[in-house]
Amino acid sequence: MVFSTPIFMFYFLVLTLFLYYIVPRRGRNVVLLVSSLFFYWWGERAYVSIMFLSTAIDYTHGLLVERCKARGNDKGAKMAVASSIVFNLALLCFFKYWDFIAGSLQSVGLTFMPVLGVHLPIGISFYTFQTMSYTIDVYRGDARAQRNILNFGTFVTLFPQLIAGPIIKYKDLGDQINERTCSTERFASGVQILMVGLAKKLLIANNVGMLWDSYKAMAPAELTVAGAWLGVLAFTFQIYFDFSGYSDMAVGLGRMLGFEFLPNFNYPYISKSITEFWRRWHISLSTWFREYLYIPLGGNRCAKPRWMFNLLVVWAATGIWHGASWNFLCWGLYFFALLMVEKFFLLKPLEKAPALVGHVYTMFFVMVSWAIFAIEDFSHLEAYLKVMFGLGGVPLANASFGYCLVSYLPILCLAALASTPLGASVYRRLGTRGQQAVCTVLIAGGLIACTAYLVDGTYNPFLYSNF
Amino acid sequence: MTKKFSIFLTVLFCAFIGGVCVISLLLPDKDFSPLENRYLQKPPKLSLETLGSGKFMEDAEDYVSDHIAGRDFWVAAKAWSERLSGKKENNGVYFGAQDTLINRVDTPAWEDTPAQQGVPAKQGLSTRLGYLDTLVGNMSVPVYFGLIPSAAEIWRDRLPAGAPTADEKAIIDQLYFSTGASTIDLYGALAPHSGEDIYYRTDHHWTSLGAYYGANAVLEALGLEPLDLNSYQKTTVTDQFNGTLFSTSGVRWLPPDTIDAYVPNEGIKVTSWFKGSPEEGSLYVDSYLDVKDKYSYFLGGNQALCVIETERADAPKVLVVRDSYSDSLAPFLTERFSEIHLFDLRYNLSSIKGYVENNSIDLVIVLYSFANFTTDTNLFLLGR
Repeated sequence: MVFSTPIFMFYFLVLTLFLYYIVPRRGRNVVLLVSSLFFYWWGERAYVSIMFLSTAIDYTHGLLVERCKARGNDKGAKMAVASSIVFNLALLCFFKYWDFIAGSLQSVGLTFMPVLGVHLPIGISFYTFQTMSYTIDVYRGDARAQRNILNFGTFVTLFPQLIAGPIIKYKDLGDQINERTCSTERFASGVQILMVGLAKKLLIANNVGMLWDSYKAMAPAELTVAGAWLGVLAFTFQIYFDFSGYSDMAVGLGRMLGFEFLPNFNYPYISKSITEFWRRWHISLSTWFREYLYIPLGGNRCAKPRWMFNLLVVWAATGIWHGASWNFLCWGLYFFALLMVEKFFLLKPLEKAPALVGHVYTMFFVMVSWAIFAIEDFSHLEAYLKVMFGLGGVPLANASFGYCLVSYLPILCLAALASTPLGASVYRRLGTRGQQAVCTVLIAGGLIACTAYLVDGTYNPFLYSNF
Repeated sequence: MTKKFSIFLTVLFCAFIGGVCVISLLLPDKDFSPLENRYLQKPPKLSLETLGSGKFMEDAEDYVSDHIAGRDFWVAAKAWSERLSGKKENNGVYFGAQDTLINRVDTPAWEDTPAQQGVPAKQGLSTRLGYLDTLVGNMSVPVYFGLIPSAAEIWRDRLPAGAPTADEKAIIDQLYFSTGASTIDLYGALAPHSGEDIYYRTDHHWTSLGAYYGANAVLEALGLEPLDLNSYQKTTVTDQFNGTLFSTSGVRWLPPDTIDAYVPNEGIKVTSWFKGSPEEGSLYVDSYLDVKDKYSYFLGGNQALCVIETERADAPKVLVVRDSYSDSLAPFLTERFSEIHLFDLRYNLSSIKGYVENNSIDLVIVLYSFANFTTDTNLFLLGR
């Protein structure tokens, strides 16, 4: 099930909240566990067994790690951590990368791996990363092992962040699983953030997404230079508002249930460098890779070549995490290259230059990166990039570009504005009275507008089926 | 946030989602949405099989969405919101000038496109034309082929500036050039009258006036005497017609259309096969003027076969392979034929060849609107 459907908003959520608040405190995790399993089963059916398997295996491994550590058996603890990582990576690799590897090998003539046509379980990249963090956190002493298997199951399956993140580390959530406070204030702030997320997804992302889809579907000869850029701009906004919208919905739903998740996006499009962009974009993924891959590899406390190698590994992994396809790997390495350039000489001049230079530079490379991200087929990508840079032999603009620009200009302007903290800072400056008035209007209006788009939603894609 | 305000927000939100949920559950089930002009999703069937295949979930999601409290309001609200945000179209319908809604027409491919990633295979124009030419080869009587351009082509000047739409004229010309059938120049007949009300503003069909120009194009191609509009008395049968484009677009801010009739229903016998057996029909069915689907006033709407007999015993017998555009055309054809057989491939799977021989038909017209000819999946039956 996905959040942006009528059945989730008006049936699943209503029933879950009702049961959650009607049962005694002790029973709430059971309500969450059962509803989360139902949530996953609804979309993935048989694959819900992965949830049971994951819960059982990681639960056992966590206890094992703790017991070994208590007995001073560090080697045993390490073995247990390794075994848990192997299990999680095996799960991820089989479902996500088997067909990709097999297909790539077959295209160079090696046929020992058959292409199985495995269907990718939704959200597998998110929850395998979360469960991996668990045993590692227990080993590092950052969290205590969870003794109650129902509570652990709740952590693994928690529906607000199950299928599209954010990736929550066990050390950040473990205590809340055991004990959390639900208050009206927290619930109401959850309503606000959920509303923001729904509006981002339904009113902006889906809207500009249609624009990108029409450009993506065009043959290169039908494109125009300005049109190709407009299309990429549309995807730039689609991916941000869709992804951060899902994260906001997760944070909001979490708060309504008494949880506090860390924010996942921090206005990435106001960055003045790529380095800054990656501190603001999909924060839960970059911190995961930093803590569980980059630092264990040695981080930057080593010789320069080794440090560069560590970064290369991290960015290759980041790329391929987004989907089992070569373009995602290229996308990751593209950022590796940019970050290297910045670290070695660009960052200093950028800081001295006027802010506008940094903004333009960052958005230019970010937009190009989204073209690489969005177009999986290399020959199509090459043709599209050529058109963007005026090498496609197509006109600068045509009538249909004019039509798209006029139709989408208001929504694109709104998206640009909403990518900055301007709205939030204006809101903060209002008095209590003003805030309450604005908030009431926005929530009521948002509920009506979002319901209208939920009900008559001819276009409502789920972008993370690759992840 | 103050305690009081947070209670207010919590109540507002819960009352809204809970209210929609409860009211939707209490509302009686509807099978059909007259406003949207379509059948709504039936309650999902619960069985091990539908659960295992995921069909239950898909149907349940559609069911919830189709039977949500205030659905008609939400559909209209979305169209309004699109309009306010500067969009010039909603659900594939352009908001044209002069209060006109116009269906978006995509450029069809010449070659077949295979099925991929859940999108079913599509027949290209060459394949479609191939079926027509098989029919031409099968027949011992002459076969005429007519493609009716859509409002998007004839009323290009009413489209939003730069709105993408297929170059129907060029495609029709190329199809006419390639086919072995004799052709009917409907574009040439309609285009000079683009300033007149030849299509409905809220429906994708041509009006009776448009059908009149179409009828003369047919008669000209056949070498028969043309009709004269001045010899008819125009009767406006309703001025409350909200058509198919009203339904799909969600646009609720336009005035309704009028439906006119020209040819009097005199000395004409109509036999309709709505459900497999013949029943007495009529050129005009007044009861449809009281419901949403008012275009079905003409002949009573889609049917597998319709036979219209006139008093002109010496005139030729024609078989028209039809879509719904032919329904408002048929009254004009009664002036020049003894029998008109309207044959719909979507509901009638029998052989055209056999039918033509058994009923001693003198000529066959394959008459489609551009949009139907380029998308209908039953054209292969032409070749049988």
